[in-house]
Amino acid sequence: MRQALRRIALTLAGLLAFSGIWLTWIATDAATRFRTDPRNVRAQEGSYLPGAGRIITADGVVVATDATDGGRTYPEGPTYAHLIGYTAAAGRRGLEESRYADLRLRNDDSITDWLLGLGGSEGRQPDDVILTVLDPLQQAARDAMSGKTGAVVVLDVATGAVLAYVSSPSYDPNRVAAGTLDPEDAVDAVIDRVADRVLPPGSTFKVIVSAAALDAGVAPSTTFPDAEEYLAPGSGAPIGNAGGGFCGDGGTLTLAEALVVSCNAIFARLAVDLGADLIVRTAEQAGFDAYIPWETGAARSSLAASGLLASDPGALAQTGIGERDVRVSPLHMALIAAAIGNEGLAMRPYVVDSIRTASGDIVHHSDPAPLARMFAAGVAADLLEMMQAVVARGTGTAAAVEGLIVSGKTGTSEGSGGPHAWFIGVADDAGHKIAIAVVVESGGSGGRVAAPIAAEVLRAWRDR
Amino acid sequence: MTRRTETLLVGFASLIAAGGVAIVTATTQGTVGLDAAAAGAAHLAAFGGMVIACRLWAPASSRLLLPVVALITAVGAVEVFRIDPDLGRLQRWWLLLAGLIGVLTLWLLRHRGVEALRRFRYLFLLGALGLLLMPLLPSSLPLGGATVNGSRLWVRLTVGDRAISFQPGEGAKVLIVIFLASYLADRRRALAEMPRTIGPLRLPEPRQLLPILLAFAIAFLVLVYQRDLGASLLLFIVFVALLYTATARATYLVAGGLLAGAGAVGAANAFSHVAVRVAGWLHPFSDYSGSGYQVAQGIFALAEAGLVGTGLGNGSPWLIPAAATDYVFIAIVEETGLAGGLALLAAYALLITIGFGIALRSGDAFRSLLAAGLTIALGVQTLLIVGGVLRLLPLTGITLPFASYGGSSLLANFVLIALLARVAHEERL
Repeated sequence: MRQALRRIALTLAGLLAFSGIWLTWIATDAATRFRTDPRNVRAQEGSYLPGAGRIITADGVVVATDATDGGRTYPEGPTYAHLIGYTAAAGRRGLEESRYADLRLRNDDSITDWLLGLGGSEGRQPDDVILTVLDPLQQAARDAMSGKTGAVVVLDVATGAVLAYVSSPSYDPNRVAAGTLDPEDAVDAVIDRVADRVLPPGSTFKVIVSAAALDAGVAPSTTFPDAEEYLAPGSGAPIGNAGGGFCGDGGTLTLAEALVVSCNAIFARLAVDLGADLIVRTAEQAGFDAYIPWETGAARSSLAASGLLASDPGALAQTGIGERDVRVSPLHMALIAAAIGNEGLAMRPYVVDSIRTASGDIVHHSDPAPLARMFAAGVAADLLEMMQAVVARGTGTAAAVEGLIVSGKTGTSEGSGGPHAWFIGVADDAGHKIAIAVVVESGGSGGRVAAPIAAEVLRAWRDR
Repeated sequence: MTRRTETLLVGFASLIAAGGVAIVTATTQGTVGLDAAAAGAAHLAAFGGMVIACRLWAPASSRLLLPVVALITAVGAVEVFRIDPDLGRLQRWWLLLAGLIGVLTLWLLRHRGVEALRRFRYLFLLGALGLLLMPLLPSSLPLGGATVNGSRLWVRLTVGDRAISFQPGEGAKVLIVIFLASYLADRRRALAEMPRTIGPLRLPEPRQLLPILLAFAIAFLVLVYQRDLGASLLLFIVFVALLYTATARATYLVAGGLLAGAGAVGAANAFSHVAVRVAGWLHPFSDYSGSGYQVAQGIFALAEAGLVGTGLGNGSPWLIPAAATDYVFIAIVEETGLAGGLALLAAYALLITIGFGIALRSGDAFRSLLAAGLTIALGVQTLLIVGGVLRLLPLTGITLPFASYGGSSLLANFVLIALLARVAHEERL
């Protein structure tokens, strides 16, 4: 009995000792990885030395720095407002909030600081935050969106790095910092339409239905009978094509052609024939109803109330053309386009490339990380080819840019103040790919309004 | 060690309790008020009472036991007060009541000692089962069950328009250890005889095992039904460890390990609230605002700790959900750093070492098993919750003995300490 008891005593004591070792390790690990995490409220509430670092784009444009009077100043004004946000008496927003701790020196009352102070040294300098954003792209996107309501976001397909991030209308963060603009009074301009606003995606959602079909064994060359409209079983209202009439010549269309001309009747029927289970599964794999990790927080995209699609073919048909209850943010649609361009693998979106000391040493570098496998590699390849045809000879011709291989999909979804214009796409410059999502709220047709905006931004990227 | 030293150390722990509260009020409110004095006084009263009771009715007891417990309780009380002053004040009353119960326990055993408990073992088993079943009473009764955080392990006693909640499972822990020690002391030779073999495993006569398996199965089912994974795991490990101690047969450890593994996998699949905890444990940041929130907040608190912590009153431990109960260890680490956390772990290691020392010195099988069982219960409970908050294990909602906020836990653990002190006394007579 004694021997057994001794063994148990030693085991428990050993486990307690191990807990101590583990505590040391996990606390050290947490301190290196999570002390300045954007979600860590402690990082915001800590005590800091005065003075903050700069925020600089990938090509060296300073977009946030300390003003001479002690506050913050934003040299590019409204252009970067939604990404950078502000630090002001009115509160904090954007990167100025999420990177608050990274940009400042923690007042640790440390002996080092005290000794440096005694020695008459200026002490430590705060670090700079370096973005992945390219200034020419950001400027081009802002110019293209001027006077319009909506958003443009551009991602590097292979890494998930954000290259442009524009929400329109915008506001001047300098005025918020100066106290002459109360963000509460300018909600329409302050809202981040890239990540925080979800809208029905319209026909851009047909890439998800196409993915479901390809997954179920349908080939891009599989033919479907053309139709003027589709009436789902048990539904009262038929779904017609944009502009009325047939999509083609009234005979048959391949899946690829149906996407090229964005045929509502065929995709509505396809969604019902594939069934709610497959549509829901494909959409969830592509990130619907899931948390999207993003620097400043992103709204969840939603498909439909649970169980609705299985019980109501009419709702399923409408979902198939991106209407009814489907809601998605431009950031999420850009992630979907990026995944299609990256053999189905979506990379985690990020905008902070690195954190540098004032003297230029890199203290932290963001490594690209996979977010989710949204599509099978074969499905993504087929989708990309079909989307290339959309821009070459379909609804998306206005997005074509000489010198680039552009693939895309347009969308025109119902909005209370007029249709929302959508374009999502991938541009390929000799193997280097970027993904783009454009939405113009109540702007009109996707092909006529959103696609040209995409073309302008892509042109700026080509000429970079 | 002399009695004088014991008294001095207990007084020192009370000073820590008072001084800690004084620091907390000074940093958070800018004043040092009556709270500090009240904390010190309550501590001194509870542990002073225990010291005196030990002198009267267990004079040969270990002198190290009470000071260590007093130290852990002081650190816990300061941190609970820091997280929520109202809870801290309430905890003071629980501490006084717990001291009284501890004294009462020693007084009851003053003539016949723990031997008296042996005769009533089936009564204790029944009592434990009754306590375990109590939360299942309808909530509408004046004395009824209540569901908190998906687990039905609370009882709410409603008197007029006031209600007191408590967790009877904590008391059941002590009663079941008494039963097991008594039962195993009588039957250990029969249980150690293993006439049957299956391959390399040797098995005892099935009928020897029947009553104990039955008792265990009932307790286990009740706990699974109440969805209290932590207490269920605790009772199971204590049961297996005691069976092994009594018989020195590894067969029981192997069987217990297999059962626990199957039970853990089963619970993760059968209960959504266990599955959620497992998901939050493995990937806290994939559902940050949902199942991973508490674990993520715990990580943020640890990130702040450093070597000596933020200092009492300078951290933000209240950001962690259930900071005063499940997460009190992390809260202590945030504000007192690795130094404080490791010191606290060392105090627990010292406590169980003293407990096992008492068990090893006992000549009598019952007393030895009783001390061993109580110590194992303390040690395993500490490891389960510390491992849980440090992400070595999925988080199970049990208290950190003596440190967490919780009246039922404090009362049960004071009875446990009183019993340990009495066993230690009887060994040296």
